[in-house]
Amino acid sequence: MVSIKANDLRLAYHVREKLTLRPRATRVSKHTGGTITGAGRHRFVTALDGVSFELEAGDRLGLVGANGAGKTTLLKVLYGIYEPTAGNLEIRGKVDALFNISIGFRQEATGRRNIMLRGLINGWTEDQIAGRTEEIIEFSELGDFIDMPFRSYSQGMAARLAFAIATTMEPEILLMDEWIGAGDAAFQVKAKQRMNELAEKAGIIVLASHSEELLKKTCNKRLELERGRVKSFG
Amino acid sequence: MLKILSSALSDIVGGYVQRRVWITLATEDIFDQHRRTTLGPLWLLINYLAFAGTFIFVFNPGPVDPYYAIYVAVGLLVWTYINDNITQAANLFQREESFISGTTLPLSVYVMRLTLQNVIRAAYAVLGCAGILLLMGAAPAMVWLWSLVGILIVLFVSPAMIVVFAFLGVFFPDSQFIVSNLMRVAMFATPVFWVHGGEGGLRGALYNWNPFTYLLDAVRQPIVDGTVPVLALSACILVGVAFWVLAIVLLGSLRRQVALVL
Repeated sequence: MVSIKANDLRLAYHVREKLTLRPRATRVSKHTGGTITGAGRHRFVTALDGVSFELEAGDRLGLVGANGAGKTTLLKVLYGIYEPTAGNLEIRGKVDALFNISIGFRQEATGRRNIMLRGLINGWTEDQIAGRTEEIIEFSELGDFIDMPFRSYSQGMAARLAFAIATTMEPEILLMDEWIGAGDAAFQVKAKQRMNELAEKAGIIVLASHSEELLKKTCNKRLELERGRVKSFG
Repeated sequence: MLKILSSALSDIVGGYVQRRVWITLATEDIFDQHRRTTLGPLWLLINYLAFAGTFIFVFNPGPVDPYYAIYVAVGLLVWTYINDNITQAANLFQREESFISGTTLPLSVYVMRLTLQNVIRAAYAVLGCAGILLLMGAAPAMVWLWSLVGILIVLFVSPAMIVVFAFLGVFFPDSQFIVSNLMRVAMFATPVFWVHGGEGGLRGALYNWNPFTYLLDAVRQPIVDGTVPVLALSACILVGVAFWVLAIVLLGSLRRQVALVL
């Protein structure tokens, strides 16, 4: 049974002051949000703190919160890019994610070739990729453009192709960050329909967005984060 | 220590499992870089021949000395491969940032992608090197098989070197420029185009205490001198083991932090 159980998740890390020749006062450290404690060499970022929630098959969770609240960090913890420093995370089901449309796409290669590359990055076999290529092309509505270089695609065309690839293999858990607004209105309707289908097939969708309207239309649960902590869940 | 070893091995095994990803990406990288040119990747061969020709004709004026031409041809081939690996490794994880912060691919995938790119580049240079050897009348002998052993050891060392310099670049961003400058100096401090005649002094010290000397000699000595490079192979194995130990410690202890530090 597909499920996500997060219990008291915490992601805190020491901001390593990079060895650099820049003057100390101008050193800027990029971090993921949350709260910063300490100073100088003893600074710590608590990006997530005490985050607990449970999702079951069919749930579509909307993640909300201001910039830096920890939405993307939480998605990356769920995907396995970041390892929580405390708490328990139990995930049952195959996870796929769409954080950045351009990841894995080669500008010079055709859309068709990019389906192969993106599939390999997602861990599919060549047979699986070959078996789903036509379905991806059909859903993305790229037509003859599928044999044109990716660099000639508009942002909407790229988003359609990325979404088609990520959802065609029917991941049991799909994590998405904001970007769904990149396509046109017709594509968003189509994307929402496909997300509903995925959720109905006993999957879980976690979508981070600032768009309350999109989340209301798409999600049945809502988790609000504030400075890395859960403000509300339900 | 066991945890570090297990974490590093899981990354390396993950890289092997995902080998189709780095083989495909590395191959396409090479062709993408030359996609709009008429000669395509053949430019890699031309670059090598131009560089080798400059050393052979400019640094040794007068009639071409076949010994020196072969010495430079093989030395430059190995040096270029090592130099490309080290200089490009110093900002490897920064170049791959979008992948590292957006996918769960093991870091070994990026390391092997760069290794294979440079192996493909070196393969074009090998054609040029073979051409120079042929022109200079080098007669293949059984002892040349020791050069193959040397090549295998250089290939074995290179992913570990890339790991070490890639981590250095992440935690010490200025290092990419320092490494790049040091490698420029190292080319002159390494017997790529100068021959050590057994003299002491600075040249002797540069020859004897420079690990690059042995990486070059492990491949070059059997072809140039017709002898088995026992000392060079032993030194290369030592250098290789040292780099692998360091690479495993870095991978095992810091790989999870790379996405947070980038």
